[in-house]
Amino acid sequence: MIELNRRTFLKGAGASGATCALASLLPGSLAALESKQLKGMGKDIASICEMCSTRCPISARVIEGKNVFISGNKAAKSFGGKVCARGGAGHSLLYDPQRIVKPLKRVGERGEGKWAEISWDEAYQLIADNLNKIKQAHGPEAVAFSSKSGSQEKHLFHLATAFGSPNTFTHASTCPGGYEIAAKAMFGTKVKRDLSNSKYIINFGHNLYEGINMSETRGMMAAQMDKGAKLVVFEPRFSIVADKADEWYAIRPGTDVAVALALCHVLIEDNLYDKAFIERYVEGFDAFAAEVKAYTPEWAETVSDVPAKDIRRIAHEFAAKAPHAVVDFGHRATFTTEEFEMRRALYAANILIGNIERKGGIYLGQKPGDYNKLAGESVAPVLGKPGVKDMPKPAAKRIDQVEEQYAMMWSSGGIYQTILDATLSAVPYQLHGWVMSRTNPMQTMTDRARVVEALKKLDFVAVCDVYISETAAYADVILPESTYLERDEEIADKSGKNPAYYVRQRVVETLGDTKPSWQIFKDIGHKLGLSEFYPWDNMETLQLLQVNRDTDLLRRIKDEGFVSFGKPIMLREPKMVAEFTKAYANAKPVDEDGTYGSLLSFKTPSGKIELTSAKVEAMAPGRGVIKFREVHLKKADELYFIQGKVAVHTNGATHNIPMLANLMSDNAIWVHPVTAGKLGISNGDPIRLTSSVGSEEGHALVTPGIRPDTVFAYMGFGSKNKELVRATGKGIHCGNLLPHQTAPVCGMNIHTTGVTLAKR
Amino acid sequence: MTKRYVMVHDENKCIGCQACNVACRSENGVPEGVTRLQVRVEGPFGEMPHLHFKYHRVSCQQCEDAPCVKVCPTGAAYVGEDGIVSIHGDKCVGCMYCVAACPYKVRFMNPETKVADKCNFCKDTRLARGEEPACVTVCPTDALVFGDANDPQSDVAKLLNTKITYQDKTHLGTKPRVYRVPTKRGGI
Repeated sequence: MIELNRRTFLKGAGASGATCALASLLPGSLAALESKQLKGMGKDIASICEMCSTRCPISARVIEGKNVFISGNKAAKSFGGKVCARGGAGHSLLYDPQRIVKPLKRVGERGEGKWAEISWDEAYQLIADNLNKIKQAHGPEAVAFSSKSGSQEKHLFHLATAFGSPNTFTHASTCPGGYEIAAKAMFGTKVKRDLSNSKYIINFGHNLYEGINMSETRGMMAAQMDKGAKLVVFEPRFSIVADKADEWYAIRPGTDVAVALALCHVLIEDNLYDKAFIERYVEGFDAFAAEVKAYTPEWAETVSDVPAKDIRRIAHEFAAKAPHAVVDFGHRATFTTEEFEMRRALYAANILIGNIERKGGIYLGQKPGDYNKLAGESVAPVLGKPGVKDMPKPAAKRIDQVEEQYAMMWSSGGIYQTILDATLSAVPYQLHGWVMSRTNPMQTMTDRARVVEALKKLDFVAVCDVYISETAAYADVILPESTYLERDEEIADKSGKNPAYYVRQRVVETLGDTKPSWQIFKDIGHKLGLSEFYPWDNMETLQLLQVNRDTDLLRRIKDEGFVSFGKPIMLREPKMVAEFTKAYANAKPVDEDGTYGSLLSFKTPSGKIELTSAKVEAMAPGRGVIKFREVHLKKADELYFIQGKVAVHTNGATHNIPMLANLMSDNAIWVHPVTAGKLGISNGDPIRLTSSVGSEEGHALVTPGIRPDTVFAYMGFGSKNKELVRATGKGIHCGNLLPHQTAPVCGMNIHTTGVTLAKR
Repeated sequence: MTKRYVMVHDENKCIGCQACNVACRSENGVPEGVTRLQVRVEGPFGEMPHLHFKYHRVSCQQCEDAPCVKVCPTGAAYVGEDGIVSIHGDKCVGCMYCVAACPYKVRFMNPETKVADKCNFCKDTRLARGEEPACVTVCPTDALVFGDANDPQSDVAKLLNTKITYQDKTHLGTKPRVYRVPTKRGGI
């Protein structure tokens, strides 16, 4: 009798011995190769992790030729030389016998799981023939290209552009797009949060203690533990971040915007806002203030279940700590169709207390070029951008350019789910092919059945990945990418308050017959007859172009792995500005108040922060001012279904990695004892969740850490293809329960719905 | 002056993320199915909205008065000069007395070496190279502090002098050398 803990972490002996036999059934997998001693490239090698999208700087070492020990790179101060469970398990991915190390082609029906090993040349030829066929018959725009954001994206999108297709997508609209687009609308660029120096943090379910983003997670913990910062969390579930909070409110799912607007209401009505800041930097305050007048805490309480007196008190406490206080604008996924308003409301609370470019608030970050101008000398080298002249401009419109309101998204990764619309209903035109790199829409997009239907309908699907993911299972050709421990890639900019660069380099020699994605997409480019767009040979040439042939700089970046330049600066923080001008004699002259406040400008139409935006009003009438609109997430007799992240897995990517699968391979459904009692459900009972689009079977975890009207699951589990032996059929597949819905303006995929719960 | 290696686990800082668990496996080649170290997130305890989790480090407690050493018939289990409960692999006959005797249930038979095994503060891997144990090295929130408690200048000694700590199952008299800082919410 194993008691079901909150996470069934400790599995008894022999919990996972059954996978090896099956692995030999997988053609093209690592298990089919002779095992050989690992050849390390050196003792400790600095590189960049790729177990999630944070991409922490790491240091990896091969131990006795058979094991890799990965820790963080100490050169990156804010990361502290630390690494999370996912990052530490990188070698478990490297050696996983089920990893794909030979190109494969489909020999049965799509999704049937019948594969044959082929040579790289044959794989390239297959892809080139099919893509050129589609190009001749329907134009190059009939092929969509999608990639996880990061190092692969550039090379895949370069291929897409050379091929002539405008249809390039990242995963943005299924994860971080909401807060990015809201920031674009208000500040003109993405912004960062300075949690480590904050004295008061208001957090709307941004679970940094489970969805670990190393520097932010460390920053928040340091602020809390070493500097006595107060943390207030609004979240329907008792997550780790809720546990670590000083105050936790089990807010009704999807009502964050009401609480955020009520906080703004109190800040304005009780005169707690920074008038001078608003006067100088903000556009559209009056229209916002007029709108917010109606959003009293008493009203917010009726919507959100957060007591009005607490909202008032929190607003006052928050303002008392201004400007070194912050409302965390969150990260992932979209709770409601009002995502754009919600993220803007969170930014608005920050703008009202004037914490922009102040310690513990929000800042824009310093790119090397701007930093050097400010310092009046060349503090940080500026990287060259190896580009190709005269790239063709795709003639067709993007498939997501259907409505003007989504305009901000077109250049920020696009609206990923429109691939399904264009495939299934030919809106705005018919897609025929789809090329993917390290992306798993079958897990991360909503309404899995539609994804399956779309993949089955396409003429041609090619996938580049390290596993036969749930999506790759429906491909015609699978291209095995080398893991990040076997790849050299471009230098990347990791600038924050001061410029910094880092680079990914190989730690071990490649196992099996895999290639890095830059090589794969370059080779495909040549096969497609697009050699003119590939004037470079290999990664070394690209790196040398980046450092403008400064080999000393390149060596330094490679040796140290993470190189940071200059002193941290925030334009409106007098202390930092004083330090900065002391360090750089030729620095720009300081304002009378000892800051660089006059240099702070925003890339918006007005040059100010747009609390109310005429541009948005023109794109989406009625959305210029931040407003509350009622949303209906569920029917009266249903429960809210919400999801979240666990510290040992990344979205739809890591569930087959042995070490991580051994830690957690199933996601029990969190059910409140009262709700469970009504349905006769006990802890560990088999249950069924049914939504408007699908039905999933799992187990119940009866816990007081969830609202009675809500059920919760960690996302990314419950794969349905047999190739992911360790992950398949275990737990609830969240995407299968969520209906297909797109949020206005930011084009985000909605991740909350109503479900009915029943005992099986 | 002999060393007295101890570990302090701050349950306020710990987020139960298992980075320590994975790093320990990687560094010490812990086989699948057995575990030297994990942090169990237990709970939530309490009544809404005053809930709390407990972050329970489960690993060898490095007892000063170790039951596993007492019951070992061959002298394979011993306490080293450094205060680390250790194992002479070649003396172990696999009788599993120690596994049964451990009140913390953290000893196991290594399925590959067939020798009793458990956390030893990375004694023969990282510590031997002058590095901190793997779990301490990677802990994202700095929840672990390791060092020589006999050295008054060490971080760990300072921490024990300034923070309230507790140990597991002290009533058994084993004198564990893994100390815990209780959560502000849960208390001891």
